[in-house]
Amino acid sequence: MTMSHAIEVHGVSKRYGDGPLVLDGIDFYARSGEFVSFVGPSGCGKSTLFNIVTGLLAPSSGRVLVNGVETTGSPSRSIGYVLQKDLLMPWRTIMRNVILGLEVHRVGRAEARRRASALFDAYHLTGHEDAYPGQLSGGMRQRAALMRTMVTDPDIILMDEAYKALDYPLKIQLESELMDTVKAAGKTVVFVTHDIEEAVTLSDRVYVLKAHPGQLVQEIEIDLGTDSHAINERRLASAFNDYYETIWRSIGAGGRTEVAA
Amino acid sequence: MTAFQIEDAQTGAVRTRPARSRNRHPASRRRTLLVFLQVAIVVAFLAVWQWGATGGWISTFLFSSPEQIISVLAQNITTGELWTDMGVTAQEVLIGFAVGAVGGSALGLLLWYSRFVADLSAPFITAIGSIPVLAVAPMMIIWFGTGLVSKVVIVGFSCVIVSLTNAYRGAQRVDPDLLDLMRSFGSSKTQAFTKAIVPGAMSWVVAGLKLNVGFAIIGAVVGEFISSSAGVGHMIVTGSSSFAMNQVLAGVVVVMAMVLAFGLLIDLLERALFRWER
Ligand SMILES: Nc1ncnc2c1ncn2[C@@H]1O[C@H](COP(=O)(O)OP(=O)(O)O)[C@@H](O)[C@H]1O
Ligand SMILES: [Mg+2]
Repeated sequence: MTMSHAIEVHGVSKRYGDGPLVLDGIDFYARSGEFVSFVGPSGCGKSTLFNIVTGLLAPSSGRVLVNGVETTGSPSRSIGYVLQKDLLMPWRTIMRNVILGLEVHRVGRAEARRRASALFDAYHLTGHEDAYPGQLSGGMRQRAALMRTMVTDPDIILMDEAYKALDYPLKIQLESELMDTVKAAGKTVVFVTHDIEEAVTLSDRVYVLKAHPGQLVQEIEIDLGTDSHAINERRLASAFNDYYETIWRSIGAGGRTEVAA
Repeated sequence: MTAFQIEDAQTGAVRTRPARSRNRHPASRRRTLLVFLQVAIVVAFLAVWQWGATGGWISTFLFSSPEQIISVLAQNITTGELWTDMGVTAQEVLIGFAVGAVGGSALGLLLWYSRFVADLSAPFITAIGSIPVLAVAPMMIIWFGTGLVSKVVIVGFSCVIVSLTNAYRGAQRVDPDLLDLMRSFGSSKTQAFTKAIVPGAMSWVVAGLKLNVGFAIIGAVVGEFISSSAGVGHMIVTGSSSFAMNQVLAGVVVVMAMVLAFGLLIDLLERALFRWER
C-alpha cells in the first residue's frame, strides 16, 4: 500500500441548492508537511472548497480523504483552520479563547492552561493572557486565533485569507511567524488567498483556480532555489518574478485552454 | 421649504460636533448637564404643583399635593404598613420574575436546539404574547386563589413571552462561523450551546430582563387590584375606592421607586456579566 497524502480531494463538485455550479471536478492533494496554496479571483469558490476540505460543508459529489481516511462532510480532528475573521469570543480572555478547542476535547483546565502557556511566548502574546480580545490589535487577535488552532495540535492547518485584513508589514511579520511555526512542527498547510505574491512566497506548490464554474487551471511547483523559510529571502529570490508572472497570466487567461496544465 | 430648513439644521448640528469634542470631558459634562436639567424639571414640577395646591388653584381633592403625598408616605412608614406592602409586592415580583423572565429566557435559549420545535411553536408564542394580562388576571385569581401564587403566575405570565422571544432571537444571531468553529473542534451540540450560544446571546437576554422589570411590577399591581389583602397595588386600589388621591399617588410613587430599584439591580447584573466590554 502506498503512503497516503495528508489531504486528497477527488472529483469534488459543488452547487448550492439549485444554483449554478460553483466548483467543478476539483482534484488535488497535499503531501504531509507540504505548504500548498490556492489562488484565484474573488468568487471562484476558494472558500467553498475550503469548507468542503474542513468537512463543514458536504460536496455535491466527490470525496475528501484526510490521512487516507474518508472524511467527506464531517470535520476531522486532524484539521485545524484559521479564517480572516478571528472568531475570538469577546467574553472570554485570550487564555480562555486559546483553550477553547482543548475544553471541547475535555482536557482538564489546568492541563489546558499549561499547554497554552507554553505557546504564548512564541506568539508574542505573553502578558496578554487575561486581556479580552477587544483590548488587542488585529495582529494580536489573529495570532491568538492561530494559537487556538495550534494548541490542539492538528497535523493539517487550513487558512482562508487569514491575513487579508492586515496591513502589509504586519502581514509579512505574521507570515514569517507562520512559516517558522509550521515548518518547525512539520505541519501540512493548505492556504487560500487571492494574493499571488503571498502564494508564491509561502508555498511549495500553488493551484490556480478560475471562476464560473470554479475549476483548477494550473498547478505550479514552486522552487525558489533556497531552502530558507525566511520571507525576505524567498521574496527576493531571483525566480520569484517568473512564478509571479506565470500565475498572473494564468489567472488573467481565466482558464483558456492554452494555459491549463 | 421646511424640509430644506430641517436638513440645514441637521448639517449644522453635525458641523458643531468636532468643536464640542475639543472640551476636556465633553461626554461627562454633557451627562452632568442632563442630570442637572432632569432634576431641575422634577423640582420645578413639584414646586408648581405644591404652589398651586397651597394657593387653591389646583384641587387637592382631584390632584392631591406633594406635601400630602409625603405625609401619607411618612404615616405608612411609621405604622410599618409601607414596608409590609412593599415586601408583599416585592416578593410577588421577584418570584414571578424568576419564573417568568429567567425561565422564559432559558426556554428561548433552549429553543435553539430544535429549529423544528421553534418554528412549530412560533405562532402559539405570538398568540400568547398578544393576550393582555388584564384579560387573564381574574381567571388566574380564580384558579390559584387570592394569595401569593396567583400573583406570581400573573407576574410570570407578564414576563415570559418577551424574555423567551428575546433570548431566542439572541441565540439565532450568534455568528454561524463561530458555531462552525465549535463543530470543527468536534463539539457536541450541548458544548456549542453552553460555550457559544448562551454567552453569545446574553446581551439579548439581559435586554429582555430589562424590559421585564416594568412588566413584572405592572403584573403584580394588576393582580393586587383584582384581589389582595396587602401590597402596593392594594394600597392604590383602596385609596382609589375611598377617593383618597394622596394615597393613590403615594402608591404610584412607591411603584416608581420599586421599578427604579429593580432596574438598578439589573444594571448591576449587566455590569457584572459584561465586564469584558470595558
Ligand atoms: N452559502 C452559499 N449559498 C449560496 N451561494 C454561495 C454560498 N457561499 C458561496 N456562494 C457562491 O459561491 C461562489 C463562490 O463563493 P466563495 O466560495 O465564497 O468564493 P471565494 O472564496 O473564492 O471568493 C460565489 O458565487 C458565491 O456567491
Ligand atoms: Mg472567500
